[in-house]
Amino acid sequence: MNEAMTGKEHTALVIGGGPAGIEAALKIARGGYRAVLVEKENEPGGIPLKLFSSFPRWENPSDRIGWMVNDLKKNKQIEISLETTVESAAGTDNGFNVTLKNTATGDARTLDVQAVVLATGFRLMDLSAYGEYGHRIYPGVLNSLEFEERLREWSRGLGKAPQAVALIQCVGSRDRSKGYPYCSKICCMYSAKQAGVVKDLFPEAKVYVFYIDCRAAGKGYEEFLREVIEKKHVRYVRGRPAKVLPEGGRLLVRAEDTLIGIPVEFAADVVVLAAAVVPHPETAALAKMFGASIDEYGFIDHDPRSHAKCADRVFFAGGCGFAVDTESALSQGAAAAAEVITLFNDNG
Amino acid sequence: MRERDADRVDNLDRLVDRYHLVENLESCLQCGKCTGVCPVANLSPSYNPRQVIRDILAGNKDRWLRSEEIWRCLWCANCYTLCPMDIPFPLLMMQLRYEALENSYGVKYFLPFRRFAMRALEDGLTFTPGGARGRERIMKLRGRIGLKPWPDISEKARQEYRELFEATGAKAWMDAIKEEEERPVTLTYLQGRITDAKKKGG
Amino acid sequence: MQRKRVVEPEEKIREIPGSVFLFRSCTGSLEYPGTESAVTETLRCLGIEPLTDPDQTCCSGYLLTCSAHTPEVSLAVTARNLALVERKGLDTYVFCNGCYGYLKELSHILLHNQEYLEGANELIARWGYHYAGKTSIFHVQEMWYRLKDRLAAKVVRPLNGLRVGVHYGCHYLARKYDILDDGGYPTFHEEIVEALGGTPVFYKERQLCCGYAVGRGFTHREEVVQPHLFKKLRNARDSGVELITTVCPGCNVALDREQPNLRERYGEDFRIPVVDLAQLIALALGVPAAKLGFEANTVPLDDVLAKLGISE
Repeated sequence: MNEAMTGKEHTALVIGGGPAGIEAALKIARGGYRAVLVEKENEPGGIPLKLFSSFPRWENPSDRIGWMVNDLKKNKQIEISLETTVESAAGTDNGFNVTLKNTATGDARTLDVQAVVLATGFRLMDLSAYGEYGHRIYPGVLNSLEFEERLREWSRGLGKAPQAVALIQCVGSRDRSKGYPYCSKICCMYSAKQAGVVKDLFPEAKVYVFYIDCRAAGKGYEEFLREVIEKKHVRYVRGRPAKVLPEGGRLLVRAEDTLIGIPVEFAADVVVLAAAVVPHPETAALAKMFGASIDEYGFIDHDPRSHAKCADRVFFAGGCGFAVDTESALSQGAAAAAEVITLFNDNG
Repeated sequence: MRERDADRVDNLDRLVDRYHLVENLESCLQCGKCTGVCPVANLSPSYNPRQVIRDILAGNKDRWLRSEEIWRCLWCANCYTLCPMDIPFPLLMMQLRYEALENSYGVKYFLPFRRFAMRALEDGLTFTPGGARGRERIMKLRGRIGLKPWPDISEKARQEYRELFEATGAKAWMDAIKEEEERPVTLTYLQGRITDAKKKGG
Repeated sequence: MQRKRVVEPEEKIREIPGSVFLFRSCTGSLEYPGTESAVTETLRCLGIEPLTDPDQTCCSGYLLTCSAHTPEVSLAVTARNLALVERKGLDTYVFCNGCYGYLKELSHILLHNQEYLEGANELIARWGYHYAGKTSIFHVQEMWYRLKDRLAAKVVRPLNGLRVGVHYGCHYLARKYDILDDGGYPTFHEEIVEALGGTPVFYKERQLCCGYAVGRGFTHREEVVQPHLFKKLRNARDSGVELITTVCPGCNVALDREQPNLRERYGEDFRIPVVDLAQLIALALGVPAAKLGFEANTVPLDDVLAKLGISE
């Protein structure tokens, strides 16, 4: 524990330094208490650091998360522990005694905390089961996070300009056969964003989004989608592609345009797969460690009477509970923080 | 002319699935992955598995019953292989063809197989050649490479095969389909909407 | 995640049996008897004795799927054939994708529908048969992949880089669950070809159906099957394929016997020979070509045999 930490003598352990975890830590500190934020990577920020542009306002996600991280670093009630994992936890009278490990040095230390916030976030599903799309088989096929990196490269003038880009939604979502039956919530919106960015960078390129539905349930979301279609001229085709095949250095996307009712084959240079959102594998282990339950997919289940609580003195926020956009992750982080503050206030 | 709710057949998806082989048609998202991969749809665009499912869920019987399209499915099952909901479309198609045949549609696409079936009842094997020359050729070829001239199948096997066709009513079902009663099929999906709506009123 | 889709070969075939029941294929025995020989020889070479039984009938699946008759009889025929194998305490191995698909589908229906199972068993009881679902159904292609290394070790005639375009056919991969590879992008046949010293060609239309199933070759030859085959064979030819392999006599008939008709209709002579994967394996293992019945093939094997250093 950092001896220079100030704040009232209650400490929350926040596991995960993405938007949900950062917001939780900041709000807990705002409430007067201490937070130890552990993050397995070597910098805090989570997924927003990897994103190029955002919906619905085309803002740079790194900016906002950057400001939050600055606040985090300046805050004397918060200790940030990077490249750190939680090895084990033992229950105490009023919380947990946790063992933290520094993955870079191998050093371990223990810490007494009176609350835990799980904020381990989400990742994208492994797509090796989708041989028909050829991820990691054909070079031009990327998942949506990999594509964010490509957008950044293109924006810097690196790499070859594409003549055509095809974005495929629902890869692994809404799939009872080899994926997950649920909808991953954010892909319709981020695909629209990605498509719009490509058109901004390369106005002459053909950009297609293959969709089954377009889910735009949020403030400004439908307007954003219409802007992408009507102002940026991205072509939306309703049909889940059947196959991606290489030919002559390009990629052929075979699908049906279901609104017309005709099979189609479009050539693209890059194919982007909006992969299903799944929890990180550590989430299940951590849930077990702290007595929380997970659903059949590994996402954290909430307590019947509180959406932010999952076990006694244990709360959660963000992608580890289900697919979430940055706005919601922040709100959930704040909600978890409110629960922690109330708990600490009640315990005096 | 608008189709009315009353024009549509209730629970058609359950009615056509007489053998309980396709119990999940309602999970179809109409995503089109089936038609996207279908080799027949690629060649005859009016053949569209997704549209057939849509018709059935909508309670429209007429369009597919009288269609030429349903006779084009190759049973390659690529639709099922890729379907995210595991809908076994070929098993649906098989049953739609029964419906059609029992209404005297598509009989010309059934007759060659009845002929093969009659020979199979004799031989216990399917696709045996009809003429003596064909049989001789096979027997010579097999003999040359050291196999028994004709595939080794016992009289007992052939007898039991025949009996099962009789006992299950399969032979009677095949015999009941009359060539003379055949009604013509057309590319109904190419022609556009054929609706079950009553003509009067409109 | 859902039911396990792709299984490791060691999981599917745990122990190598000393003998198996080899299920006779009608089209195989009649059109390409050399396939029957090749499968038998290759199994023996692997130390597995294939047993047959003259009481086995056709699986009855083909005409069923043509809607030529209704399923009750095929359920009974399947129960009878598999009961026969169960009496011997063996696993069932087929060498035809059609037989595989039909036996798997029909046995699945029987074992998951009490009513159908009882009905079928009632019918076959008159001859003393009873089906309990004890025999497992495999296709020999699974055994080839399972023992790929054993096959590779026994190669005496490596394929000299022969450019082989495999044709998986549809009915094995259409089983979808508990199979050896993903229907979206299978590679296990290509791996076998490589193990034998051949060069697999990943031609664009390698997964296209042959068009022969459910007899559309009889009912819609001009409208559907021929344009379809033309597309596949032209793509194979353009990709430099010298030989196509199949694991289904039905596919073999379509891809092999239609080539002269395609020449007549489209003016293109592909001349790509088509053989069963087992025949190719048997050649590599040193089985004399004379035993493999290539006279049955419409497109002659001469060039391929010459490339492999075999004079027929």
